[in-house]
Amino acid sequence: MHGFLPSFYKDRNMNHHVTGFQQLQEDHCSIPDSSRPKRLPTGDEDIMELLWRNGQLVVQRSTKKFGGGGEVEVPAEQLTVKGIRSTAEEQHLFMHEDEMASWLQYPIDDSSFDRDLYSDLMYSAPLPTTPPPPPPPPPPPPPPLQAPVIAIAPPRPLPAQKPEFSPRFQNFVHFSRIPCRQSVEPISKPFATAARESTVVESNETPAVGRESRASLLDFRTQMNTEGGTAAVDARATGAGKLAAGTCEFTVSSSPGGSGSSFSASGKPHLQTRKPTPAEERKRKSREADENECRSEENEDYELGSDTNRQERVFAASSSKRSRAAEVHNLSERRRRDRINEKMKALQQLIPRCNKTDKASMLDEAIEYLKSLQLQVQMMSSMGCGMVPVMYPGMQRFMPGMGMGMDMAMSRPMLPFPSMQLPGSGLPNQATPAAHMGPGFHLPAFHLPPVLPLPDSSRIQAVSSLADTMLNSLVSLDPNQPRMPNFVYPYQQFPGLQQVAQLPLPQNQAAALPSTTKETGNMGNQRSAG
Amino acid sequence: MSSRRSRAQSTTGSSRISDDQIIELVSKLHQLLPEINRSNGRRSNKASANKVLQETCNYIKNLHREVDNLSDRLSQLLSTIDADSPEAAIIRTLI
Repeated sequence: MHGFLPSFYKDRNMNHHVTGFQQLQEDHCSIPDSSRPKRLPTGDEDIMELLWRNGQLVVQRSTKKFGGGGEVEVPAEQLTVKGIRSTAEEQHLFMHEDEMASWLQYPIDDSSFDRDLYSDLMYSAPLPTTPPPPPPPPPPPPPPLQAPVIAIAPPRPLPAQKPEFSPRFQNFVHFSRIPCRQSVEPISKPFATAARESTVVESNETPAVGRESRASLLDFRTQMNTEGGTAAVDARATGAGKLAAGTCEFTVSSSPGGSGSSFSASGKPHLQTRKPTPAEERKRKSREADENECRSEENEDYELGSDTNRQERVFAASSSKRSRAAEVHNLSERRRRDRINEKMKALQQLIPRCNKTDKASMLDEAIEYLKSLQLQVQMMSSMGCGMVPVMYPGMQRFMPGMGMGMDMAMSRPMLPFPSMQLPGSGLPNQATPAAHMGPGFHLPAFHLPPVLPLPDSSRIQAVSSLADTMLNSLVSLDPNQPRMPNFVYPYQQFPGLQQVAQLPLPQNQAAALPSTTKETGNMGNQRSAG
Repeated sequence: MSSRRSRAQSTTGSSRISDDQIIELVSKLHQLLPEINRSNGRRSNKASANKVLQETCNYIKNLHREVDNLSDRLSQLLSTIDADSPEAAIIRTLI
């Protein structure tokens, strides 16, 4: 717990609890020896000044309400009992102009008066939706950089539950404008991270403190601008990238005068990650009924300049009701799209040698790869049956080590019906027993003999000849509806081939490839027909 | 819908991927996937892209595992048989 008591406390050589303070605040900036306003935990919202008088802390009500009214003696024990807590508490209370930094710090523990003053101020928006991840102390007063934001968007009607919002807030604005940034940083450093962490709704996703402060900026805007429900919604959206980018958007728009360089500088890289959102904002303005098309937004090109965002947001501010509903919709849409995009990326990583980036070709690749994998697994699982590994065009690049040989083999034109056709016609009937993995079935015996006449052939040719044999034998079969319509014509045998390839799959492998049940059903029809 | 598509086309001059194309691809993928039916039957015509993609990822991982298992078994099998036999050649092609 850090607080900062002015060094003059130290100088006064006060009693023991001063040293307690002293430990905490050695590195803090010194505060001029004017009074330190401190609010006692009385629930009183007046600004009390804590003064050192006669060797004791006394509390003096602020002149605001009482014109310098009475004093209340605060026994030192009260402070000592609280000890470190009180030091933490008092930090944020200082309304002294020179101590602008003071109220930037906030106590770690949540005492009631803190909450009265600040939690309503800064925390109302996040609290109903998502509690901040750490134990929720009230958020810090906004860093001075946010002052322009607040000043810009004050005219929005403030939420009803914060009746004292505006006057207090104005005070804060006033104080925040005081340039004391240098002192802010070292002092608030122990708190800043915690403060921002508490402020930021999704801080656990944004490790950078900078981002968190931007998010707290976002929260402020949320409260100032009910229209900034988008902002709040954005803040709560999944993904740190979106959060940061969303905040960066707002900083761009709301702090044109140049918020901290950290904001604008780091805002730009995030802008690129925010592709879906500008499109969503666009759509929000021009709502269409069929926006609910499930995949309709997937193909959007979401590149938009920040200028468009700014204009759209300005426009959004004026139509709150419609856009609020639209925001919810947009949020859900964005979430859905993000999930889909995540899965597309995951899929892309699963597919080997996939260098495509657009959705359609990636889906194409996925389909091909999935088929080839299925086939491969079937082949391998039935390897004991001696089934030939069969491939069809498009699959070759997925097979390891197949390389050029198989390409050449597979691209050979289909042989005319060889003499093998005769045994081939018996193939379908034999295929059924072959479907069961076991010793005695005809298929391997049928296929091996063609290999024998080619003792010197490379294994690739052997395999290809086997494949051709199989293919040819399949031609006699009724080529069922092809599963790959795009492969049908030059390689008409392949669709049927695939069925045969799936034939040997034993029934007990249904768990692995339950899709083969479809195929066996087809083959059942085929056999009955043939 | 038309405005969205025109927007897509206007912004991406070269890549004109239609929504229907995507939908078709997703449904194709959906057909490839093994469907785990519920006990009382289940309509398989719903294919939300999200679910299909998720299932595809899982399925591909499963298939990878299968391939690995089978490769192990095949290599074991290969060690047991005569290395010059055609079966061995076949097995080698698979691994």
